[in-house]
Amino acid sequence: MTSYSNGGFFNPAYHDSETLEIDRRSSSKTPLHTNPYARGEGADGHYSTGPISSDDALRRVPRGGWQEESWRGRESLPMGHISTRPRSPSWQHDINHSTFQIPPDSQYDRSLSIRLPSTTSGNMTMRRRGITMRRMSMFPNGDPNHVAFTEDAIRNEMDIEEQNLVKELVALSTRDRIWAIRDLPMSFDEKKQIRSQVLAFKSAKKSRQFTCFADCSENMSLSFRRCGYGIRSARQTLELWQGIMKEIGGTFGTSVLSYFVFLKWLLMFNIFSFLVNFGFITIPQLVYSPWPNISPNVSFRGLEILTGAGYFNNTVMYYGGYSNETKVHLADYNMQLAYFFTIAVYMVLCGIALIFSMASSFKTNYVLADPASNSAWQLLCSWDFNITNDKAVRQRKNNLRVQLKESMSEKAQRERITLSESLKHFGVYLGAWLLSTSLAVGSGASIYYLCQFEQQRATDSANWSLLQEAETLLVPFVVSLMNLVVPLFYSLFNKFEHYSSQRKQIYALVVRNVLLKMSILAVLCYNWMNVVAVKFSCWESMVGQALYRLVIVDFLFLMLGSFFGEFLSNVIGTKLLPRLGVPEFDVARNVLELIYAQTLAWIGIYFSPLLPAIQILKFFILFYLKKVSLTQNCQPPRRSGRAAQMQTIFIALLFFPFFVGAVSMVAFTAWSLTPSEHCGPFRGLNSTFNVVEVWMVHLEETSSSQWVVWIYQNVIRSEIFYFLISLIIIVIIYIFWQVTRGRKLLIHVLRQQIVNEGKDKSFLLERLQNLQKSHPDKRSKQKNPKKHSKRRPDDHSSGGQSTSNAMVQALLARQQLEKEEEERLSTGGVPVPSDISSSSALIQAMQARQRAEGQERDEHYSAGYYESPTNTSSAVTQAMQARQRAQVEGTDDASDPTSSVSSVMMQVMQARQRAEEEDRPQWVPAPPQNRASAGSSALIQAMLARQQAQNEYDDGY
Amino acid sequence: MGNKQTIFTAQQLDSYQDCTYFTRKEILRLFDRYRDLAPQLVPLDYTCQPDVKLPYELIGSMPELKDNPFRQRIAEVFSDDGEGNMTLDDFLDMFSVLSEMAPRDLKAYYAFKIYDFNNDDFLCKSDLEKTLNKLTRNELTEDEVRMVCEKVIDEADLDNDGRLSLEDFQTMIVRAPDFLSTFHIRI
Repeated sequence: MTSYSNGGFFNPAYHDSETLEIDRRSSSKTPLHTNPYARGEGADGHYSTGPISSDDALRRVPRGGWQEESWRGRESLPMGHISTRPRSPSWQHDINHSTFQIPPDSQYDRSLSIRLPSTTSGNMTMRRRGITMRRMSMFPNGDPNHVAFTEDAIRNEMDIEEQNLVKELVALSTRDRIWAIRDLPMSFDEKKQIRSQVLAFKSAKKSRQFTCFADCSENMSLSFRRCGYGIRSARQTLELWQGIMKEIGGTFGTSVLSYFVFLKWLLMFNIFSFLVNFGFITIPQLVYSPWPNISPNVSFRGLEILTGAGYFNNTVMYYGGYSNETKVHLADYNMQLAYFFTIAVYMVLCGIALIFSMASSFKTNYVLADPASNSAWQLLCSWDFNITNDKAVRQRKNNLRVQLKESMSEKAQRERITLSESLKHFGVYLGAWLLSTSLAVGSGASIYYLCQFEQQRATDSANWSLLQEAETLLVPFVVSLMNLVVPLFYSLFNKFEHYSSQRKQIYALVVRNVLLKMSILAVLCYNWMNVVAVKFSCWESMVGQALYRLVIVDFLFLMLGSFFGEFLSNVIGTKLLPRLGVPEFDVARNVLELIYAQTLAWIGIYFSPLLPAIQILKFFILFYLKKVSLTQNCQPPRRSGRAAQMQTIFIALLFFPFFVGAVSMVAFTAWSLTPSEHCGPFRGLNSTFNVVEVWMVHLEETSSSQWVVWIYQNVIRSEIFYFLISLIIIVIIYIFWQVTRGRKLLIHVLRQQIVNEGKDKSFLLERLQNLQKSHPDKRSKQKNPKKHSKRRPDDHSSGGQSTSNAMVQALLARQQLEKEEEERLSTGGVPVPSDISSSSALIQAMQARQRAEGQERDEHYSAGYYESPTNTSSAVTQAMQARQRAQVEGTDDASDPTSSVSSVMMQVMQARQRAEEEDRPQWVPAPPQNRASAGSSALIQAMLARQQAQNEYDDGY
Repeated sequence: MGNKQTIFTAQQLDSYQDCTYFTRKEILRLFDRYRDLAPQLVPLDYTCQPDVKLPYELIGSMPELKDNPFRQRIAEVFSDDGEGNMTLDDFLDMFSVLSEMAPRDLKAYYAFKIYDFNNDDFLCKSDLEKTLNKLTRNELTEDEVRMVCEKVIDEADLDNDGRLSLEDFQTMIVRAPDFLSTFHIRI
């Protein structure tokens, strides 16, 4: 790595940099309009006030600055700049070490070289230009005399940098390289250029090796890659509903789209579980006994589709339809084991998939989410580029305007809330929470009594009458009705509560709904495990039927819900009560409904292995239904909430109470309940888990695979193992917790540092302004140069023309120091830790700054003594410039310390000299020049340099 | 694989696939989209790399961009000449950055460019005002615009220089996870 970053050092331009910089400043008295390169400067779009003629120059502007900025972006985000792929290319870092050494002067000239057709590496020039942008703006007037001098140097530099990039890319693996090239913020042509260079380099390298083998491997890797692309293409073809998704996103925005994405995701889950269950449980069963033993007096009556009873009772739909035999046909197939392990593996896979998607979602969406920067977010991040519908765009603009106005008035309002008002709010919250909780508990209790009532009437018989069969629909009907109606009450409560933020409001709604659904499901599960399991002979099938009914009736109610929830309120809103307006699509409510439906399917997987098939059908129809309902009845959401966070919450909810609840229900059934004696794969066993014990005994007898037995005895059945595992996990969690706390502290410190940087900067600027105010007559003399700088609409106006050159010198000294640190790092080859070197640079620069401040005070004091106080600082600048020029020309001018330089200023100079470790410079007085503009830009540049040093310091941390 | 196409050579397709986030199928689809904008201008054979450039008026009339308030800026930022006239390469580049696969850093970089109306590498007040006016159809009063812009800078400007640099912007983006899904145009 270090060998690459020497580029800047061996470059002659580097050693001349300081000189050139000062030289140019001395030449900056050249009026802008006579500078033949001034037009190029304007054309860079940097200060593009008028129409820009030179499009050749401009076209690279948007691409510029990637290196410096991407690097700084990476470095300056210590609080976890998350890259989703582990491939952040290291070369970016390195290259910027070398760009750091690029003399600012040459960068101006580099922009010139673009216009020279002879430039060999034109494409790289475009890329580099961005780096120069800021600095160029600080040195608006270039010195034409030096163009020829620096051009070669620049070209060298460019070539070296390009080679570095290519070399680094070659060093990466093929996959990483492709990603790295893709992630370069350059235009396609530039990427292509880099890519072809890398490939050429690679093949050149390869040809030196065994050519045949190299060719072969090259071809292989190419065909592999093409194959991979082909697979990706094919997978995209299989992607469901792309067009519909685009349409929905185009009209309703990302937040509504997230519902459909979630729906599709759940559908994929179910397809997977259906394939697993069907493949490993149902197909073997069907192969060996294709026709279930349906008693002849049971006929298909049609109602079964709703109730799932009767005809379906003995089919493979339910647990009872499977046998417990070991099928001996082509190979042994133990149905018991197959059933047990399929369900277990499916549950584990589901859990893993959920945990992973939840964790990644949390990582990207929630950890760093910060509610504080609301306006900035609204203005700069909230615009949905997805939206392509004219009406939606207009509405969104309106909404944004309203939201911005609200947020402004909210701030004013918040302070006016009195104690009585807040008490009132608190009372309303309390009442709403009490009411909603009691509603949830009440619905749970009523379902409990209803179930008891039903159990008393139900008999254990295979052939129910039609009425009896219809009666079984009562419980699912009531459950679904509650699920439909109670959330509407919750929404009503929500209207009376005054939440300070929309997010809190949604969270309250979600928590209440979750409570309701949990209490209902808990009562149902309790009923199944404690009442049904005792009463019926083939109780697993009965539970399976109950779940089937719940799934089906829930589906009907979902349709009803979208009819009432969306269609009716649309009719009411448009025809009867225009005050209400067209309804919005309630993402939270709909997603919770989906979660509930999925939980039913998870619970049912043990009792009814083919339930996912029903679920697939349900979700498939639901997708189209919701889509139609959405486009016909709804309007885009008025508030653009933070959809990504909501989605994270939903996945978390899906995992935590619902999936974990379903798993524990199934696990309890498998471990503790006695399977029914006359049906199902586990008949005759004490508990489902006994299957494994029986298998182990069998294995021990045959003694074919002892290791399985060993694992079973020593791992699965041993308490010590679980004890140790939990202990280790707890320790790891504790360590990670501490690490997280440490990181938080670090983030806090770094953030503080950034704030301090800002304070430093504003403090310096303030000082500078004060200083200038104390020299009013200086201003009059500066009039002329000021005109120049005013001609440019300068964005750095805060720095402006108020410049103390002493300060500038101090900062320059510091910059120089840093440069030297860089140089030492790169040339010495000794791995000096960057934090040490840059911190020493910091300390020295701080000293220089202190001195400068001291000098400032002195200057106030000394102002009265000197006849011409203007000379105090200007003379120094001139002296500096002259000194630099003297160095470049290699002449030893006689020193003339008679100019009115204050002693403190001398100290600054000395600090600088010490830093440079050079010979004592020669002092030559020079005529006053355009130091205001040059000085201010130098100041800002010095600050930029300091920031960079700071960034590196942080990096070393 | 399978179906033969003669629009691009295999090498061209490889380089497109290596330099963008698209698959072959998507590249061909995007080519069709590009060609649909001006069938008489764009040849069906790109193997010899014809120098075709569609003017901004055509690019901006795409349904994906037509109603986007930033369409002009997007076209300018991604076009080679800075005026919104795009070659096929620029076109692919644009949708590649706006695709789902593009990483956050890249998206943030280009979003910053889009909001940076005067190309000075900083989002200053005038940029924010322009953004705001584009987003709200000039319906806020001057006072309100000023207040919002001040608030934005106040919230997002970490180093207190009165304008947002790319680093400030990226810091903000990291905390706004929705950005990844909203700075995204489905093809």
